Amino acid sequence: MFAYTVRRLIQMLPLLFAASIVIYTLLSLQPGDPLDELKRNNPRITAEQLEQLKRAYGLDQPVYVRYFKWLGRAVQGDLGQSRTYGLPAAEYIFGQRLPKTLLLSGLAFILALLVAIPVGIYSAVRQYTLADYVITFVSFLGFSIPIFFLGILLLYFFAVAMPENLRLPTGGVPPYLPSDVGSTVSLGEYIVQWVRHLILPVLALSLIQMAAWTRFMRASLLEVLNQDYVRTARSKGLSERVVIYKHALRNALIPMVTLVGLAIPGVLGGAVITETIFSWPGMGRAIFDALVEKDYNVAMAALALLALLTVLFNLIADLMYAVVDPRIRYN
Amino acid sequence: MATAAAQPRKVQSQSTWALAWRRFKKHRLAMTSLVFVILLILMALFAPHIAPYDPTAQPTGADLGAQYFNGPSAQHWLGTDDLGRDVLSRIIYGARISLLVGFTAAIASVLIGTVLGTLAGYFSGKPFRFYLGPLARAEQGWQPALFAGWRVISWGLYYLALYLVADLAWKLSGSDVRAFLGGERSLGNLLSGIGLLVAWGAVAAAAIWGLWGTIRLDLDIVISRVIDFVLTIPTLPLLLVLSALLRDPNVVVGQWAQAAFGESASVFIIIAILVVLGWTGTARLIRGAILSLREQDFTAAAQAMGAGEGRIMFRHLVPNALAPVIVSVTLGVGDAIVTEAALSFLGFGIQPPVATWGNMLSNAQEYIFSAPWLALAPGFMIFVTVLAFNYMGDGLRDALDPRSRL
Repeated sequence: MFAYTVRRLIQMLPLLFAASIVIYTLLSLQPGDPLDELKRNNPRITAEQLEQLKRAYGLDQPVYVRYFKWLGRAVQGDLGQSRTYGLPAAEYIFGQRLPKTLLLSGLAFILALLVAIPVGIYSAVRQYTLADYVITFVSFLGFSIPIFFLGILLLYFFAVAMPENLRLPTGGVPPYLPSDVGSTVSLGEYIVQWVRHLILPVLALSLIQMAAWTRFMRASLLEVLNQDYVRTARSKGLSERVVIYKHALRNALIPMVTLVGLAIPGVLGGAVITETIFSWPGMGRAIFDALVEKDYNVAMAALALLALLTVLFNLIADLMYAVVDPRIRYN
Repeated sequence: MATAAAQPRKVQSQSTWALAWRRFKKHRLAMTSLVFVILLILMALFAPHIAPYDPTAQPTGADLGAQYFNGPSAQHWLGTDDLGRDVLSRIIYGARISLLVGFTAAIASVLIGTVLGTLAGYFSGKPFRFYLGPLARAEQGWQPALFAGWRVISWGLYYLALYLVADLAWKLSGSDVRAFLGGERSLGNLLSGIGLLVAWGAVAAAAIWGLWGTIRLDLDIVISRVIDFVLTIPTLPLLLVLSALLRDPNVVVGQWAQAAFGESASVFIIIAILVVLGWTGTARLIRGAILSLREQDFTAAAQAMGAGEGRIMFRHLVPNALAPVIVSVTLGVGDAIVTEAALSFLGFGIQPPVATWGNMLSNAQEYIFSAPWLALAPGFMIFVTVLAFNYMGDGLRDALDPRSRL
């Protein structure tokens, strides 16, 4: 297991290397270099000064030279400066954006799991009952609805159409900290504000995930319930409760582990749309903004981080698979 | 005799599909979805005859103010948008884009995925010699016969790559080395010099080895690594990057696209991007199926009868792996429609004035307070269309599963 992990970690390196080359190349091919804005803001700048700046930024060098210089600095933890925010890209991404995405996506993730697993079990155990049909139908709707439409619907019903005093905020995060100068917000109110801001984006993100996982949980449990050992357990006279929760469910959860593990990086990166609809200042929105504002150090840092997380969670999902299923051995 | 032998086989193969069709018809939601999709296709095909207005026409005349943001009425069934355009007509024309993007992207992805997945599965464990040095003995067996002259081209590629590495090493360390030779004996400059020597030494060694060496590559490993690689890159952000790059008229590719397709260039760019990222799922599916099918007796029988590799792959193996492919085309159409809509929703997809459901929805979000009905029609259409394709995929999966009975 340890040898397998080490081998997989070593295999990750060329993959990440290739991914970072492709992302860097694509970003550097993007039209407009960082000097365009300077030229626009300062029409009196001379060609000589521009040339100097170009050298200072290293823009006179070919792409692959810039890439290797970027890589050299990146492995030392220097991801460059954000041009828009005037602070190190790493600080901006890790310090300001990642925590907010983790909060939003983490809550959505937990909520989705907490609902999907019991509902999936309920639906599978009562297969072909009215409740099962309703759950199957609703979850089919849920995983077919595009997140941007669901987001807009939620926005409309809970932030626009609601009576004034029940309305939830349309987006963003609470503007003032209790510790801000002149702030009248108490800590309790501040927490309530956060909760109110979180409700809609968390709902939007989790409902779709929830629907997909409910379907999967149901299918997985049904598959197991048809196995011979479940029939054996039943014919031994074990109570239905023991058959389902001790014999069937444990096996049905195995594929869920992989699915959930693989969904984690997707949740982090795929929240672009949710974060856009609800103006949530997280990673997805950061990538989007960085592309629009041509802040390539930030885009590069965020995309590289996502690629790293994707490979890491792929590995974790595979390892978890072996942990929960002793029949699987990696050697 | 020949006709007698051919006859029963034909009947047999017909009845497999007839059986599937009979099973499919039993899936009521799938049938409803099929009818819906057919209606949608007809609506898209005959859009100019059905749409009551020009989808991009803006109102003219004296009383302009009264023609923006109209709610649903007898003249405009779904109202008018922020520029006074008829929403119903835009929805009808939007169906063209959604279906065009959905079908083209899904079919192209699945075709590419099928071919690459088949090659990977069939040639797994049988490495090709991609490179054979000029002085190596050719009788060791020279595969692949990709085309005449590949061997010579491979030399060119090999030595070009070496040259690029050597050049890169110089570009990275050259200034430090010059400084070192010029008398600046710092540790950093010394390290750069050592790095340069090591890199050039490695290049020289590789160049000498290349004269006699051979490089074997397992096509399966190459394709599987590429699939892993595509899966490593976060999809949606990458789509944004690619789309921003290709749509820009200052970039060469963007210029080609504009020249070739004019106003609808962004449609084809989106399709291309969806295909580049979309083939991996099918490829993995097919690869797995082919890996097990190629070990079965009928493959050996085909080989014994002297069938070529291409014939074995595409006449004998692929048809047996077709069921999941058909399902994945169906689900792929829905996926492509959503992805296109998502990109257009973010403003990185198909550009106005071309009407698509995605960019209509994006536009509508700005007016959610003043004109909420604008979001309803495009959002609902995307939702229902995707739902229909998902149900069809579901129905097909059941219908094509040989284990399911009537």
